[in-house]
Amino acid sequence: MIGPLGLLRDLGRALDAAGRRLRGDYEEDEWGYDPTFAAAAEPLLSFLYDRWWRVTATGTEHVPRDGRALLVANHAGVLPWDAAMMATALRRGGIVRDPRFLVLDWAFGLPWASVAIRRNGGVPASPYNALRLLEQDHLVMVFPEGAKGVGKPWSERYRLQRFGRGGFVELALRTGAPIVPCAIVGSEEIYPKLGELPGVAKLLGAPYMPITPTFPLLGPFGAIPLPSRWRIAFGPPIDLAGLGSGAAEDRATVLEVAEDVRARIQGMVYDNLIERQGAFR
Amino acid sequence: MPPRRVLLTGVSGPLGARLAARLAADPGVEHVIGIDTRRPPGALAERITFVQADLRRGELGPILKLASPHVVVHHDIVQFPEPGRSARSLHDLNVVGTLQLLAACGELPGLRAVVVRGSASIYGSQPDAPAFFTEDLARSATLRTRFQRDVGELERLVEAFARRHPAVACTVLRLQPVIGARVDTPIMRLFRSAVVPTFLGFDPRLQFVLDEDAVGAVAAAVGNPVRGAVNVAGEGTVSLARTLRRLGKRALPIAAPLYAPAVGALARTGVVPPLNDDVVRYLRHGRGVDTTRMRRDLRFAPTHTTAQAIDAVAAKIRAEDHAEAAA
Repeated sequence: MIGPLGLLRDLGRALDAAGRRLRGDYEEDEWGYDPTFAAAAEPLLSFLYDRWWRVTATGTEHVPRDGRALLVANHAGVLPWDAAMMATALRRGGIVRDPRFLVLDWAFGLPWASVAIRRNGGVPASPYNALRLLEQDHLVMVFPEGAKGVGKPWSERYRLQRFGRGGFVELALRTGAPIVPCAIVGSEEIYPKLGELPGVAKLLGAPYMPITPTFPLLGPFGAIPLPSRWRIAFGPPIDLAGLGSGAAEDRATVLEVAEDVRARIQGMVYDNLIERQGAFR
Repeated sequence: MPPRRVLLTGVSGPLGARLAARLAADPGVEHVIGIDTRRPPGALAERITFVQADLRRGELGPILKLASPHVVVHHDIVQFPEPGRSARSLHDLNVVGTLQLLAACGELPGLRAVVVRGSASIYGSQPDAPAFFTEDLARSATLRTRFQRDVGELERLVEAFARRHPAVACTVLRLQPVIGARVDTPIMRLFRSAVVPTFLGFDPRLQFVLDEDAVGAVAAAVGNPVRGAVNVAGEGTVSLARTLRRLGKRALPIAAPLYAPAVGALARTGVVPPLNDDVVRYLRHGRGVDTTRMRRDLRFAPTHTTAQAIDAVAAKIRAEDHAEAAA
């Protein structure tokens, strides 16, 4: 209903919410996740999802509705837009939970970005954090390519880098969480990396500083991602329960499973690249 | 268990006196011997004997032999200057004091437990730190600040003592910052000042322990000495922004490179208290600790979560402000 009464009611609600915020009377969990803050980001994320990147999501039915689970995806882009779009895809798929995502440590040394990431459910990428989150039965998104993934040059896009030392497999084995593979296509075109500025990166303590068609040319506007077309595909969960919890100690098994997951995601990435037909169409 | 004699260092400190009273009220404790260089603030309860002595001097041996305690509680660990504890003496008090005390403890045949009040500052405050430090992670922390090095060194002393005396159970309690209306630390003074300088663009997760829970945790360790380090904190964390809003205090955001000079200038004019490195780093990056060991092994459950502790302090500060306004 849009009338003067409806407007007044909405205004009243907004003022009430703002007042509660100012009194510190709002929820926040032990990780610093702030549901009201995250909800406020939703319109922006919806815009990016529907209009900017025109995301198509498939396979959300593979993501567990409750209980611990590890979502493993390929990684690209400096800012965790891929995590935000995955979360939006899950919400659209009717999965009503607050996914948490592991973010490269150095992002937590940045002003503002660190706060925004944390309030939206990001935590520093430490195995201790991931373990605790899974033990609390959270849905945790990890990007095992890490800094190697985001620092890929344009020519290497969609070629998945080594999956670290397989730490995520160890976590899954130790906590009994299923691994849900996820392929993201489109994220690797939003900041095409043409070159690097290693001196600047060192100065800022960043893992790398890219040169893209818009950055550093346009300054802060270079942070605006290109409007590529995205596809997000979730695959069937990989249950590792059969390997037993002792397998977590066995390096060979861990690396083997990690490589298997990587190959699966790589296959899903190729399939979706074919389905997408053109990056900026 | 038969009633025990407990020796307590730092009995004249702000929390020491309350701890002594708490221990003396415990039927499992036969007698409390309190040691300090300072006179106790008021009359001590029955069953508490005060001995004036300096831990840093080698005069403890005879006193300890005479007292022959079953449990030694080393509570005289100081992070901030306070009356009778100057800034220059802190390192000596913490490290040399512990060294002398443990040396004297080595000669006590009846000693069963040593409880040391350590600090969660040992983990430091870093942006890339685990969100909740477990006790075994202290080794991986880089010791950056002076107090961090102090507690690191004193924990090594306690570990060495524990190895040489396997019959004595040695506990180190790693407390998160203690808050409470009767506590006088830089953090509490900051919460009482008109504005609180914060780092522009940062909003750390903080974790506190209410003063009565800090006392309760040490008392719990006396009754149930567990071996090794135990984190002590109220459940959960609260962001600095939310803490200040609940306290009704205004934040004064300062860009990181200007923080130290700006706070230094504010401290000279008396607007904010002087802050040491630990507090400054804590206000920028925060810290959380895992309290599984506290609940499972120490069998201690704090009465207040971190959020409740902040609310309890907020209520007291509001009442004080009202009383001031009325007067």
